[in-house]
Amino acid sequence: MGFLTFAVDWLKSPQQWSGPDGIPIRVLQHLEYTVLSLLIAAAIALPIGMLIGHVNRGGFAAINTANVWRAIPTLGLLILMVVLLGFSPLTWLIPLVVLAIPAILVNTYEGIAGVDPDLKDAARGMGMTQWQVLWRVEVPVAVPLIMLGLRTAAIFVVATATIAAEIGLGGLGRYIIDGLAANNYGEVAGGAAVIVVLALAVQVIFVGLRRLVVPAGLREQVRASR
Amino acid sequence: MVWSWIPQNWTLIWQYTLDNALLGLVPPLIGLIIAVPAGIACVARRWLYAPVLSLTSAIYALPSLALFVVLIDYTGLGNLTVIIPLSLFSLCILIPAVVDGLRGVDDSVRQAATAMGFTQLRRLVQVELPLAVPVIIAGMRVAVVSSISLASVGQLIGVSSLGYFFIDGLQRSFPTEIYVGIALTIALALICDLILVSVRVVLTPWTRGRRAQARPFVVPVPPPVGAR
Amino acid sequence: MITFEGVTKRYPDGTVAVDSLDLEIPGGKIAVLVGPSGCGKTTSLRMINRLVEPTSGRILLDGRDVQDANPSVLRRGIGYVIQQTGLFPHRTIEDNIATVPMLTGTDKRKARERARELMQLVGLDAATMAKRYPHQLSGGQQQRVGVARALAADPPVLLMDEPFSAVDPIVRASLQDELIRLQAELHKTVVLVTHDVEEAIKVGDLVAVFRPGGHLAQVASPERLLGAPVDDYVRDFVGFDRGIRRLSFFPAADLGLADRAILPAAAQVSDAIATAKQEGEPWLLVTGEQGAPLGWASVADLEGMPPLSTLADVPLAEVGHTFRPDTDSLRAALDATILSRTERAVAVDADGRVLGTASYERLRDAIRAAEEAADRGGAPAPGLAPGAA
Repeated sequence: MGFLTFAVDWLKSPQQWSGPDGIPIRVLQHLEYTVLSLLIAAAIALPIGMLIGHVNRGGFAAINTANVWRAIPTLGLLILMVVLLGFSPLTWLIPLVVLAIPAILVNTYEGIAGVDPDLKDAARGMGMTQWQVLWRVEVPVAVPLIMLGLRTAAIFVVATATIAAEIGLGGLGRYIIDGLAANNYGEVAGGAAVIVVLALAVQVIFVGLRRLVVPAGLREQVRASR
Repeated sequence: MVWSWIPQNWTLIWQYTLDNALLGLVPPLIGLIIAVPAGIACVARRWLYAPVLSLTSAIYALPSLALFVVLIDYTGLGNLTVIIPLSLFSLCILIPAVVDGLRGVDDSVRQAATAMGFTQLRRLVQVELPLAVPVIIAGMRVAVVSSISLASVGQLIGVSSLGYFFIDGLQRSFPTEIYVGIALTIALALICDLILVSVRVVLTPWTRGRRAQARPFVVPVPPPVGAR
Repeated sequence: MITFEGVTKRYPDGTVAVDSLDLEIPGGKIAVLVGPSGCGKTTSLRMINRLVEPTSGRILLDGRDVQDANPSVLRRGIGYVIQQTGLFPHRTIEDNIATVPMLTGTDKRKARERARELMQLVGLDAATMAKRYPHQLSGGQQQRVGVARALAADPPVLLMDEPFSAVDPIVRASLQDELIRLQAELHKTVVLVTHDVEEAIKVGDLVAVFRPGGHLAQVASPERLLGAPVDDYVRDFVGFDRGIRRLSFFPAADLGLADRAILPAAAQVSDAIATAKQEGEPWLLVTGEQGAPLGWASVADLEGMPPLSTLADVPLAEVGHTFRPDTDSLRAALDATILSRTERAVAVDADGRVLGTASYERLRDAIRAAEEAADRGGAPAPGLAPGAA
């Protein structure tokens, strides 16, 4: 168990837990990148996904674009940004946001467009306006898929923020990149361990969030359909 | 963009493209070889699926770089260190695809096969798996494209791929190299995607003419850990 | 009242769903649009609440063109029930039912109170079901919720698109009965679409038969449809044994009953034999103390009995089905006659007392008279539950 030994030894050292290079600061940085990018991506992708889902057009194009998107190498994109833009917050923000958008957009589209047509028909037939159909029927029913999109986006962003240390960004990837450069496997192992814990913690948060926002009537139904 | 750089470095470009293709294609294949029996098991034993799904979703959430460096201590700085984590990611995508594909087989078809005297194994091989092919290939498309794109991260621990051009381009502040790396990664991914679509068309002649379902992107990230 | 004036729906690809439809749907009645799939019946229904917009022509709701109303406001005043129920999976039953009142600004507590009343009205237990979610209910219960939801804002008009097609035959029959019962109480203007001609005949006051291509084939009361289909298409569509089915619409009240050859159980066997000989009947109906039918005694059996014994000692054949002239139809009377081994059916009153017996001859005369009256234009008797054979 070489990795664990290295990781535990490094983590036990008190100097890792304080100062500007300390784990708490790095975790906060990592979360800052993640949350900020996710919020911006959601602010862009949710309305667009809801719109094209509601009118049910352009979905095919959106899905195919998203598929190409997936092929973009994140490391290449980050490095390209730093070579072109130099170092500014936009250098990391643009790639992170760009990477998070397709997952949110496509899932939101799928969720809204996939709402049972009978439900929409009933909603309209009872006299709901387009706006009411969207907010009172389509969005609540699509919430499980929308949450899945946000969660997938979060996975991308956490992972990419790790790689972003290569272009000089803070966050937990620093330990790996610096450790590799200094041939210090203890630091690399410790950093990787913290990242694993953080990534899992983010997932747990999304599980909790999902519990919170998925309407009760849908919960068992979704579970039953699995 | 310095176009002349491309012909001058043709051999290098070709070499790294092949390396990247290897890193991008081997993991989905390994994933598939494991995912098919695993998926079958999850369909046969329903209780198995929830914990498997929780596990795969947890693995899928881990950053590739973290997994690479964890493995360095065990497998050194070779291809294997990149191939193992990418195979795991592929597995996480493919197990749900296999399960969804098998479960998506119309129950009446399954019952008809049983009624005509198919044994369980025969029914699986001759009826259920062929009908699940479209969904499994949809999963393969996601797995292959992701692996090709993620392979470049391996360059950070020195495993060669098109990522070489990113690191080299960064050190030399030379955008051309980076453009070429990105373009080739995307091109490689799209070519493999196209091949997979063709494979599906060949393997499932009965779906021709029907509108193919265009929903390859929704990564089947499983339901919450502890949903039960 | 709903009026279609030359309404046509043509889709961009050239298909004509509805072709210059003229139709008047009376207020307070159940009108059924029936026909094979692709005949434009659902399109016609959906043009009333503007879920589909007509290409040309007008639809008037109580004299006002529906095109002049805001679609959302129009729809809130029209109940709408669809086959797959369209219940919102994320809302409880009571909130589903309260949807339209809450849309129109009724406060939540009041709307829910109303929802619970409606649940009782459609036969659902509010105490146990109000807080449940749609997927926890059976198909029939979901459809009841769908009807309650459509009734929530007390709209004068109710549109029902194949409302009972997705449930099994037994549940369907009970939902149809429920609709007839509700309608007797509420007197809505109901437009119901179905492909099932039996359903149309059972629940409709007026049936509009569509033919493929969006044309009307015939508009008539169910009885007229069975008695006088306008052409081969309607005849085939209405189906086999329409003559017998039509009898459901003729009351048995006018059936002349015979009160001969009926004796109380206390009568002596010798008297009974004399009566039978005099009437020329091989069977005697034996009644009990309250006048209830006990069974049939055959003259052949009576002749083997001691002359001083009473009919109570004689072995009796079962009475079988009886019918009630005041509520049943000629179809029920005919059915009871066919099933009786004596070729005479027993008519009883509300308390089960024998009123008389009906024979084939009497039935034949009554059927002929009823058909002639109907063909002269006499309306079928009101209040008779169609299909209650």
